Amino acid sequence: MISIGRLCVKTAGRDAGKTCVVVDVISDKFVLVDGQVRRKRCNIKHLEPLKKTIDIKKEASHEEIVKEFKKLKIEIKAKRPKKKVEKVKEAVKVEKPAEKIEKKKIIKKKPAKEPKATK
Amino acid sequence: MPEPSKRSRRFRRVMKKTPGGVTRLMYKKRRPKQAHCAACGKVLPGTPRERAKKLHRISKTSKRPKRPFGGMLCSKCMRTEIIKKARK
Repeated sequence: MISIGRLCVKTAGRDAGKTCVVVDVISDKFVLVDGQVRRKRCNIKHLEPLKKTIDIKKEASHEEIVKEFKKLKIEIKAKRPKKKVEKVKEAVKVEKPAEKIEKKKIIKKKPAKEPKATK
Repeated sequence: MPEPSKRSRRFRRVMKKTPGGVTRLMYKKRRPKQAHCAACGKVLPGTPRERAKKLHRISKTSKRPKRPFGGMLCSKCMRTEIIKKARK
C-alpha cells in the first residue's frame, strides 16, 4: 500500500491532519515524507494512506513536490527565510587600575557582623 | 480561632515557610477542575491546573500540546477524527 508517490495524511504530532507524499522507503517501518509537512522520517503507523498517487522519482526535491501539489490544488506554505544575525565582536577588556584592587582588600579586613540576638 | 469566614472549608490550607523562618498556615482559593477530553472524558495530560491569574503568566506553548485539537481532545480521539475525514 505504502510506496513512493503515495499521498498520505499524517495522524500524529504537530503536523497531524496535513497531506504528504512518500518520497523514499527507508525500511519496513519508516518512510521519508514531504509536502505540507516538514521533510522528515516518519513511522508508517503515523500515516493514513489516500487513494491518489503522484509520479515522482525516488528522493525527489521539495521544489518538484510543490509543483506536483499545485496540480492537485493543495497549497504548501513557503518557508520564511531566516534572518541573518551579525555577530558582534566582543570588546577588548580594559585592565582595571591598581587602586581599585587595593580598596577591595581593605574591605575584606573588616570584622564580620555580630550574630543576630535571639528573641 | 481563625475568623469565621475561614472556619469553613471554602479555602484550601497550605503550610508555608515565612521569611522569618516560621512555618504558618495559609488560606488559598481552591484550584479548578483538570481539563478533560471533550470526546471520551479522559484527563488531559500536559495541561496546567491553575487559577486564571496564574495561567496568565504561563506561556501559550506550556498550556497545551501543539497539535490540532491540542488541549481539547486527547491524542487517540484526535487520531480517529482525522482518519474519519481522510477516508471520506
